[in-house]
Amino acid sequence: MASEKALDCLRRRLCDSSFVYSAFKSTPAGNYSKLKFLISNTITEACNNSVLLLGPRGCGKGAVVDMILEELKDEFPEIISVVRLNGLLHSDDNFAVKEIARQLCMEHKLLFSKMASSDDNSQFMIDMLRECGLAHKMIIFVLEEFDLFTQGKQRLLYSLLDAMQTLTSQSVVIGISCRLDADQLLEKRVRSRFSHRKLLFTPLSTEDMQRLLEHLLYLPKNLSLPSKYVKEFNSNVNNILGDKKFKEILDVLSSVDNTISNICRFLYHAISWMHFESGLLTLDGFKNALSCMQRQPMLDKLQGASILEFYILVCMNRLGSREQNSFNFNSIMKEYKAIQDAYKTSDNYSWSVCLRAFEHLIERELISFLDNRMRSLSIEYRPVRLLLSSQELHQGLKSNSFCPAILLKLLNHESYR
Amino acid sequence: MAKDGVIPLSPGRKTRSSSQLSPSKPSPQNVYPFSSQTQSQELIHCLYTSEEPISLETLISSFPGRKPQILEILRLVGSLNSPMFPLLIYGGPSTGKTIAILQIFRYLNRPFVYAGCRTCYSPRILFDSILRQLLLHGRNPIKGNSGTKRYEKPSEFIDLLRIALVQAINALKERNLKSGSEEVDRGKMIYMIFDNFELLRSWDKNSNIVPLLLRIHEMLKIPEVGVIYISSSTPDAYYLCTGSIEPITIYFPDYTLEDLHGIFMRNQPNPKLYSSFLSVVLKPFFRVTRRVDELSVAFQPLFQQYCKPLVDRSVVPDEAMKRKLFDNLQPYLTVALNDLFNVPSWSSHQTKQEGDHQKKGIRKSNRKEASNELDFHMSMSAKYLLLSAFIASRNPATLDASLFDSSGGLINRKRNKNSQMSMDRKDSMAEQILLKGPGSFPLERLLAIFQCITSVAESLVEEEQHENGTVVESGSFGLTSDVLLQLSSLCNANFICKSGSCPLEGSTRYRCTIDEEMAVRVAKSINFPLSSYLYRR
Repeated sequence: MASEKALDCLRRRLCDSSFVYSAFKSTPAGNYSKLKFLISNTITEACNNSVLLLGPRGCGKGAVVDMILEELKDEFPEIISVVRLNGLLHSDDNFAVKEIARQLCMEHKLLFSKMASSDDNSQFMIDMLRECGLAHKMIIFVLEEFDLFTQGKQRLLYSLLDAMQTLTSQSVVIGISCRLDADQLLEKRVRSRFSHRKLLFTPLSTEDMQRLLEHLLYLPKNLSLPSKYVKEFNSNVNNILGDKKFKEILDVLSSVDNTISNICRFLYHAISWMHFESGLLTLDGFKNALSCMQRQPMLDKLQGASILEFYILVCMNRLGSREQNSFNFNSIMKEYKAIQDAYKTSDNYSWSVCLRAFEHLIERELISFLDNRMRSLSIEYRPVRLLLSSQELHQGLKSNSFCPAILLKLLNHESYR
Repeated sequence: MAKDGVIPLSPGRKTRSSSQLSPSKPSPQNVYPFSSQTQSQELIHCLYTSEEPISLETLISSFPGRKPQILEILRLVGSLNSPMFPLLIYGGPSTGKTIAILQIFRYLNRPFVYAGCRTCYSPRILFDSILRQLLLHGRNPIKGNSGTKRYEKPSEFIDLLRIALVQAINALKERNLKSGSEEVDRGKMIYMIFDNFELLRSWDKNSNIVPLLLRIHEMLKIPEVGVIYISSSTPDAYYLCTGSIEPITIYFPDYTLEDLHGIFMRNQPNPKLYSSFLSVVLKPFFRVTRRVDELSVAFQPLFQQYCKPLVDRSVVPDEAMKRKLFDNLQPYLTVALNDLFNVPSWSSHQTKQEGDHQKKGIRKSNRKEASNELDFHMSMSAKYLLLSAFIASRNPATLDASLFDSSGGLINRKRNKNSQMSMDRKDSMAEQILLKGPGSFPLERLLAIFQCITSVAESLVEEEQHENGTVVESGSFGLTSDVLLQLSSLCNANFICKSGSCPLEGSTRYRCTIDEEMAVRVAKSINFPLSSYLYRR
């Protein structure tokens, strides 16, 4: 039971983003401290501000904002109200303004009219900003997926940032984006009203990684687990973290993607392999997790193909390497028949069977049509292209145990001449 | 896939019942007949499968070759009430993804919401189906109809979804408290399963429904919600321009030979006999396709054939008998391999049984018999029209003048001696025809060719009739009557299709879609010398 409880505790931690990112709360030069200082300063000085949080996905931009807002709400009760918008949901300007009005109404317990026009809503927003400014209340706008707000005429961004130019209002606009050039996407009139404060979020350094792992994997003493088990578990984790092989695994993982969310996914995978009887983590679990994260989808797809489908792929590859720039099912069949005539293999199938295999390949997304325009044309005439490189095909054929040797020969003969 | 056949339900009905029908794929053949759920009083149960939970052993034994995947999913979903990361289950079609997940949830006995993107074919219907399932679950039986709100945008959907999920989770918690020890604890997690996720990509190019649904877990920020995606395309298909949250992936590989053997051996009345049948059949078919659904369709008639010499089907075959049965089956095997996916029509079965002489003679004789006759009726003038469309599609337009003289007859072309130049040109022409497919033509050209070939045909008929001594008034044959009507009916039958209008002339262009084999058959049925009208042949 203790092991089950420990596993549950670890899973809960990994899924709770504020716990994960609280590992970096204490660093003085970190983004957390900077952003918190910025916002609390703005509150105490009663002015306007705007900031962009940039960085690749999974570096904790959103989580840091969430954490800071929670804390500030405790620190300055009744002063802060938060409006959250997401570029995926509210990229339409009129709709975004409506959503702002709705959230402000919810926050301040006002009646929200669904029928209000866009003009009414934006007027309401400006009025609210002024009223709140007079009452010394702060409105914080959090715009997730900031880059998606810049797609249209940027009316929303303009009216938000323009409203902040007046002295009466008090608000902060926090933009979160995974595009590092998000501020370059702004129009001139919007950019001139933006404060040009940017915080860059970066993936983990090695020391940070070590700290994160310790933060996530060590069990706390105060949990209602037997202290003997906790001690055993933690010393085991310590052993694994110090292991040379584990370091290698971690290196491989972080050389591909060392964002925090990727590490979390890896750990989630790894702890699911926890040894059930002893309730301890194992190095094998980490190894398995790594191999699960390193799948190559193209090769997976190739592994599922049948022999006939391989024949068609090889034919396509041969046609492609002959610098025939476009080919369709008919020309592939011509090549296929030529091969069958020359080598007299047992895999000589009729036209309709090959067409079916061809359709399977399209379904599998190993090949695709060149364009979608010629829908009226029947399938055998539409030009297709191979989505595989010949190296991938070579690798796929080699790793396939039941594949006839002639196929490999046909492929090599043409492409490595 | 069997799921293709599922009819999208009207929004009035629950989609779950369709989801329960959909996994009745041939893979685990009729394992559990899913009873379609009736509207019961206890609405709160509607998020669970209606059947009794199954044990882990039956779960694993009902999916041969899927044990590692099932165990991995169970590990990743985790124990009761533990939060989870989003999962993406991927693998080729007909590898048992959907049914495995549904059976796993039957084993786990936890509440879930299932939304198949094939049956829910637009965002609106998808959202509606999810919300309906949740609201049905979360609402109080006393309160009655809480009413589904109208929503237009994804953001409204997210808001409503959040409300519905919180309601449902609270209802679950309450229930757990109330029932106490009477019932099995089913936890307070709700799982959302999105099936056929790959179809979402083709829905609407500008809408960002794919990133929306992929990030739904992050957006909702409710730890009690687990999200599972099922997709037949690999995860790299969802790497979008600004990147997206990657779910944890689980791969369902295609079945190996042993797995397929295991699958087909399930629920067989006479395993020994079927095993000997499979040992003959499975390997050659495996080279062509690895999909269970297609293989099971192909094997059914073959097994009937295999068993034909046997009087008693429960007999256990010995070596000699196996050999005899194999010899009996062999001729059919090659035939079946080559029309693996054709649904055999009744008449071709008949001819097959008649032509039961020798091993390889069968196929050829069948072909010949079949090729001589059309298996549907068409009027005379429709046939001529179809042929002229075929000629117009195959021949380049510049050649028309040399093929037909002013009186409409055929000019005997002078054949060039085969110089190297013309050979090359011929090759490139053939290549072009292979690549480009049938050419398009305006209506006028079709009518002109039609006029030419019908006038020839009429004169031929007249000559014959003169020889026979009967006199018929010319023109009474009426081949050219109602051409446009015939054309539209041919268009409806998809023998001729309209292809985009010509930018210069503005008139519609047509294209003939029938293949040469069919055209020859049509020509034969009216004794038309098609080959002399075709360029290069």
